[in-house]
Amino acid sequence: MEIVFFIAALTSVFAVILICLFLFVNGIPAMAEIGVFKFLLGKTWAPTDIPPAFGILPMILGSLYITAGAILIGVSVGLFTAVFLARFCPRKIYQWFKPFIEVLAGVPSVVYGFFGLVVLVPFVRNVFGGSGSSIFTASLLLGVMILPTIIGVVEASIRAVPPQYYEGALALGATHERSVFFAELPAASSGVVAGVVLGIGRAIGETMAVILVAGNQARIPTGLFQGARTLTSGIVLEMGYAAELHRGALIATGVVLFVFILMINFTFSYFKRRAFS
Amino acid sequence: MNIKYLGIGLIAFSALFMGCDKEEEKGKSNEKPVAAFNMNREISVITREAGSGTRDAFIEIAGLLEKTETSKRDLTTQDAITIDGTQAVMSNVSGNEYAIGYISLGSLNSSTKALKIEGVPVSSETVKDGGYRISRPFNFVTKGKESPLVLDFIGFVMSADGQKIAQTNGYIAITEGEAYTPSKISGKIVIAGSSSVAPLAEKLKEAYIQINPHVEIELQINDSSAGILSAKEGTSDIGLASRDLKESELAEVKGLTIAKDGIAVIINHKNPVDNITLEQLRGIYSGAIKNWGAVLEK
Repeated sequence: MEIVFFIAALTSVFAVILICLFLFVNGIPAMAEIGVFKFLLGKTWAPTDIPPAFGILPMILGSLYITAGAILIGVSVGLFTAVFLARFCPRKIYQWFKPFIEVLAGVPSVVYGFFGLVVLVPFVRNVFGGSGSSIFTASLLLGVMILPTIIGVVEASIRAVPPQYYEGALALGATHERSVFFAELPAASSGVVAGVVLGIGRAIGETMAVILVAGNQARIPTGLFQGARTLTSGIVLEMGYAAELHRGALIATGVVLFVFILMINFTFSYFKRRAFS
Repeated sequence: MNIKYLGIGLIAFSALFMGCDKEEEKGKSNEKPVAAFNMNREISVITREAGSGTRDAFIEIAGLLEKTETSKRDLTTQDAITIDGTQAVMSNVSGNEYAIGYISLGSLNSSTKALKIEGVPVSSETVKDGGYRISRPFNFVTKGKESPLVLDFIGFVMSADGQKIAQTNGYIAITEGEAYTPSKISGKIVIAGSSSVAPLAEKLKEAYIQINPHVEIELQINDSSAGILSAKEGTSDIGLASRDLKESELAEVKGLTIAKDGIAVIINHKNPVDNITLEQLRGIYSGAIKNWGAVLEK
């Protein structure tokens, strides 16, 4: 019987290996043909021009800016939410809040995107000018999207802090707030970082919601209210029509994204090990 | 404790509702079109993704393609919002007063306003007679070794009956054609390709199956490149393409134009502009013209 379980377990391992193989076999030759530096640091993306330009620096920066904005919003709100839920929230309210946050995690990303397109984009356009499709809009939307991820991990890690920390702080004369923020939260810092890293992973990999609100301009953004294209939306936008080297370049973009995600996952498991061991 | 949080929640919620009220009032005042439309606001230029057949056709006709013998450059401004898909372009334009976009004529509906180009409104008549300047071909792509069934289907499409279907669906017929005479034929045809051609292919399929009930037609919708590739590789009998074939593709497959399609330039209903010259269109899409005022003055 064990062999059945073993085969089941192998499925996911095989899936990862196959995806890796597909990405690298298709992506690396394209990257080599374009030139690694030209590809990673090129400022122009003009795949249908002759000669074509395949520089993904605008997309890398777009992904980084939007993710950074999302983290700024998501972490500040998420961290306080987690602290509230773990240490301040009366049981009755907790019963109400927790399901709401879980529902937030379950909303499909295309629904987030559509909400962003219909509500956030006109709002940003009317208040801040421009077209409304911008880094700011995308960050705002992603910031909300990653809330459940951050809240979940941070709350769990605060709850995992041994009660002695809190009691010790109280015994030394600290108030409830002080004990939570200066004794428990530092003790849970690995968990907090793990939550943030996981949030980054979610934000950088998000596609559907971003594609609808970010504007998708393949140029280096110079302002918060300018549009930007992320690595993921760059792939999705053009995959359907791409041929030859263009297609290779998109898969190579996938390789870059994959490497980003790998780094994020390793960082996450490092901090997670520290937080819950 | 309990009451404290409930209180905070209540205040937060009422603040939210007050915000909503204000928003509604704003919405009402926006309904007066002339007063609300600010001519000095930046134009939100909307384009399709690189490689899209609609974009290829549009940039070529609007003069946004800088072409020499060895090079080709798309001059579309990098500030243009890039959107994949006709429906998404339409919903963006219908939601943004300052937007301009372009879509296939067959997809045009009342949610947006189509601009006249050089004074000529877009319609199948004006595309066919050449008065309307922005149009593109719809191609059937085959490998050159068609079965009798596929030939019969193509014969139907190019017949008077087939061309009439194209025309009634807002596309432009390519030939007069003769009446189609059905032969007792059966089998299966696989058609794959451009989502721009697919709505027409679907209608042609329905009509053909009604005449030849023993024929089965499978329609797979993806895009022009995939359609041409599937015809080349033999995974489909007919590939659909909404652009001219590239030379590298023509070496292995052949194309047949079955109809023409106009590209409509669309803006929001609140926008008072209703005519544009190709020159101005080029200016907007290359980033030289930044606001609507510059378009209306001329």
